[in-house]
Amino acid sequence: MRPRPTSPARRRALPRPARRTGGLVGVLTLLVLAGCSGEEDTGPDTLTVAVVDNGDFDVLQELSTAFLDEHPGIEIEWVRESENELRETVSTDVGTGAGRFDVASVGTYEAQVWAGEELLTPLTDMPEGFDPDAFVPEVREALSADGAVQAAPFYGESSMTMYRTDLLEEAGVELPDEPTWDDVVSAATAVEEQTGTAGACIRGKAGWGENGAVLTSMAHSYGARWFDEDWRAQLDSEQWRSAAETYLALAALAPDGVAEAGYAENLALFQEGECAIWVDATSAAGFVTDPDASSVAEDVGFARAPGTDEGRPSNWLWSWALAIPASSDNPELAREFVTWATSSEYAALVAQDRGWAAVPPGSRVDLYDNPDYLEAAEPYAELTLEAIRSSDIAEPSTQPVPYVGMQYVDVPAFQSLGNAVGQQLTQAITGDLDLEEALERSQWVADQTIEQTRLLADQEDAAADSESTED
Amino acid sequence: MARTTEQIDRQIANTDPELLPVGEHEKHGAKHFAGLYAAENVAGTEFVFGATFVILGAGIWDVLIGLLIGNALAVLTFWLITTPVAREVGLSVYTYLLRFGGGAISRIYNLANAIVFAVISAAMLTVSATAVQRVIGIPTQAEAYPTHLGFVILVVAFSIVAVLVAVFGFNALAEFATICGPWLATMFTVGGLVLLPAVAESVTGVTTIGSFGEFVDIAGATVFTGVTPEGEPGIGMIEVAGLAWAANSFAHAGMIDMALLRYARKGWHGLMTSTGMLFGHYVAWFSAGLMGAATAALTLTSITVLSPGDVSWVALGWAGYVTVVVAGWTTANANLYRAGLATQGVFPSMSRGRATLIVGVIVVVVACFPFVYRNYAPLVTWAGVLLAPVGGIVYAEHKLFPRFGLTEYWARFKGVTNVPAIIAWATAFGLGAVLNITQIISPYFAFVPAWIVASLLYVALARRAGAADDYTDEVRDNELFLERAQAFKRELATSLPGHVKDTSTLTRVLRGVWMLALAVILVDALVVFLASPDIYTYLTQRNTFYTIAITGTVVYFVAAYWELRRGKTLDRRAHEKARADAGSGGDGGEGGEKEPVGAAV
Repeated sequence: MRPRPTSPARRRALPRPARRTGGLVGVLTLLVLAGCSGEEDTGPDTLTVAVVDNGDFDVLQELSTAFLDEHPGIEIEWVRESENELRETVSTDVGTGAGRFDVASVGTYEAQVWAGEELLTPLTDMPEGFDPDAFVPEVREALSADGAVQAAPFYGESSMTMYRTDLLEEAGVELPDEPTWDDVVSAATAVEEQTGTAGACIRGKAGWGENGAVLTSMAHSYGARWFDEDWRAQLDSEQWRSAAETYLALAALAPDGVAEAGYAENLALFQEGECAIWVDATSAAGFVTDPDASSVAEDVGFARAPGTDEGRPSNWLWSWALAIPASSDNPELAREFVTWATSSEYAALVAQDRGWAAVPPGSRVDLYDNPDYLEAAEPYAELTLEAIRSSDIAEPSTQPVPYVGMQYVDVPAFQSLGNAVGQQLTQAITGDLDLEEALERSQWVADQTIEQTRLLADQEDAAADSESTED
Repeated sequence: MARTTEQIDRQIANTDPELLPVGEHEKHGAKHFAGLYAAENVAGTEFVFGATFVILGAGIWDVLIGLLIGNALAVLTFWLITTPVAREVGLSVYTYLLRFGGGAISRIYNLANAIVFAVISAAMLTVSATAVQRVIGIPTQAEAYPTHLGFVILVVAFSIVAVLVAVFGFNALAEFATICGPWLATMFTVGGLVLLPAVAESVTGVTTIGSFGEFVDIAGATVFTGVTPEGEPGIGMIEVAGLAWAANSFAHAGMIDMALLRYARKGWHGLMTSTGMLFGHYVAWFSAGLMGAATAALTLTSITVLSPGDVSWVALGWAGYVTVVVAGWTTANANLYRAGLATQGVFPSMSRGRATLIVGVIVVVVACFPFVYRNYAPLVTWAGVLLAPVGGIVYAEHKLFPRFGLTEYWARFKGVTNVPAIIAWATAFGLGAVLNITQIISPYFAFVPAWIVASLLYVALARRAGAADDYTDEVRDNELFLERAQAFKRELATSLPGHVKDTSTLTRVLRGVWMLALAVILVDALVVFLASPDIYTYLTQRNTFYTIAITGTVVYFVAAYWELRRGKTLDRRAHEKARADAGSGGDGGEGGEKEPVGAAV
């Protein structure tokens, strides 16, 4: 409804001072508005926690009643989103210092990049019971910067090859313990031809943490690199082309809808028996072998992440970890929550409620000394730990690189760059782009986007030169 | 002794009509002022102001609300202070000051104006030069003084051309400047829009902004952060409001815009100044700040040393260079011309051209120092402190005198130098200067007490000096003068054709073309802003936008200038016909020198 206008007669009837007073009232209204521009405060008794919407965090949310029992009068507000959405939401909150979240799940990438920008609270002044040495050293280091742990690992992961033993047997193929990508493509092709089941599951959903992660680790294993030592983009190299061809070959063997399938969708597909081979996070192992959740739990085999004859294995290193944004209004309570959620007590609570196989893997060393866990996770526990420990994130490729990361590049620009390149490859999967064009565009956008990092590197080099000259 | 009607008519006939009170037929409606102020207040200075708020460390809410408050105060001052006096007196502040203050204060005032306009002109010439500086590869000038010979040569060359244009070709460039308003408003708006995804990406890693709240968070984290580039706490909402109010203080409180607002048909038309405040001092400032901060983030350069040329290139591509050159040069040209006229007012025997050349030499030297344009906000604050008290004196003469039983124009009637006005101005300026230097109150508000002190002190001193005496005969003579002046203007109106409205198809097509060109630029900027889900899409769309912006700019100027020329030709023909019909050789004024009008800030 439109507001009823004041009639001209009525306006004329208003005495002049009254009309002028109206203007001053307008200014006073603005001043009042100015006083009301504060941000919403959830108060000291509410902890706002943002986490990825996956099985391990499902369990955390459900069992958090135990934390609340220990902290009466406290409420937890949960924000759960899929990986891509959560990254955007948390990045915006942490990057702008909006202060909405007290605890947020971040990865090794964010821990490194945001620590450099002082956006996270280093976990140095933690409550009793928090012991950084209890975490798997490689995971802890990947989450540390400037000598301090920036986020506590909730679970750690690498990547591995998961496959259906029954389907491979039916197709008459075997997968070696240390397969190459060619082995994976051959086996997947054979399964599809012999059994009619999709040969592979693979992340096709665009996003640096979705298909970007798989593609990047795959490219590194082919000896490709995102940038050379001078931060010049290298996505037009032969190695990148080979990796992308393998990626598209596996996508062609995947079930329908591969272009929309990320980690969660592929997990569901594999659990439902829709595909034969899936190269993805080691943290999926517990879910695909859980008889309550997976229809193929008894027929899953595991092998190392694929590599190439000329390159290296593609096993990445990642952790979904709990961080406290520097903008949190409730850092003390956040510290207590992080300590509880990453403790051995929490692991025992999960074991008691769901069984040892459901305990978040790859974060605590003591888990791999626990015979109950080793028994429950027998098919994959050792392989997971070994994959985590052997992931060479400092030298991901056979060629030298100026960055750290197997499935990402640890510079701020990579989040948007990885998304953009992932988008080009998704379009290549759907046939909207041919591979040539997808790589051409990827090379262009990488060169454009890295400009700022290059400038920063130049400035640092100049500063270093200047210091050495002074010396 | 009262003069006869014939004597007064002879005086009026020998006076430039511009110096007579405005006739009824010369007055304009609200639409005219809305357009005039929207165009006048989007200028090269906006680039500087936008960056100023970032450098001063204003917070996002301080800017969003502080600018609203400050601009609302500016509009209220235009409406309640400037417009009533301007409409009732019907003269520019220069003419009115001469009439009630006499030659002495008028010359001092002209000198002050000459200084202010020369400095503005120099700052804008430096701004213009920064665009070319980047094209030819001269490094950004980070110091207060020039550090590269090429920069000095460039600025001197730019300035010399500008001075020569102001002397010999002012009308052509001024005419060109009249069509720049809509285009500049568009370019300022789209510049910010196009860089928003890049700003978002730099802080969140994604190019999309989901809500107004997110926009505020992002702008607050990257642009208007609440801290200075050195990490110190920044200015607050009150200071932002003060700066927004002070930026135009010499135009509203200082009454310079009496020259424009005297043509207002109604008192409330003063509210139409809000278009200038909205586009020029809200959207353009915010957008310029956004462009500056984004450029600083993308190029890893401190915003304190970034030049408008650097900023506009990142935001608008080649169209950005055109924007900086056009915005800077048109503002510089107008102010150089005003400075020349003001200098001529100080030395009446000097020709305007010579006066402009002399001022131009000073401008050339000042323009070489980047310090001047980077400190534009403090300079404008000083200009307000210097010139606003004269507005207070003008207000007192016309509005307060009747309330205190004093007589307007008393000094002229008495035949004395208006010493009270000079003392009141000097005292108020002294007070403002002390406040500005000591910062007892925020320097942006220093013009307010200076204005109040000037007006009240002038009332008190004028009473003692004879303003309360009986001037019945002189007042009657003045009333007769005003009556005859109105009659003269009415007669003039009947002998001259009004503005001829061009309704031809070609003109309509041209108007449609330039409007379409602006619309296309705006829509494409919105596409870049709203439909860039990832960095690849954003970068490719931004590159396309650069092409559209420069192409649209060329199309706009060709069509708009063509339309302008057609309108002028029609008007000229109508005037020629009217003169031929009347058998008179009187000149309507085109090509002649007009008195100065308010500076666009």
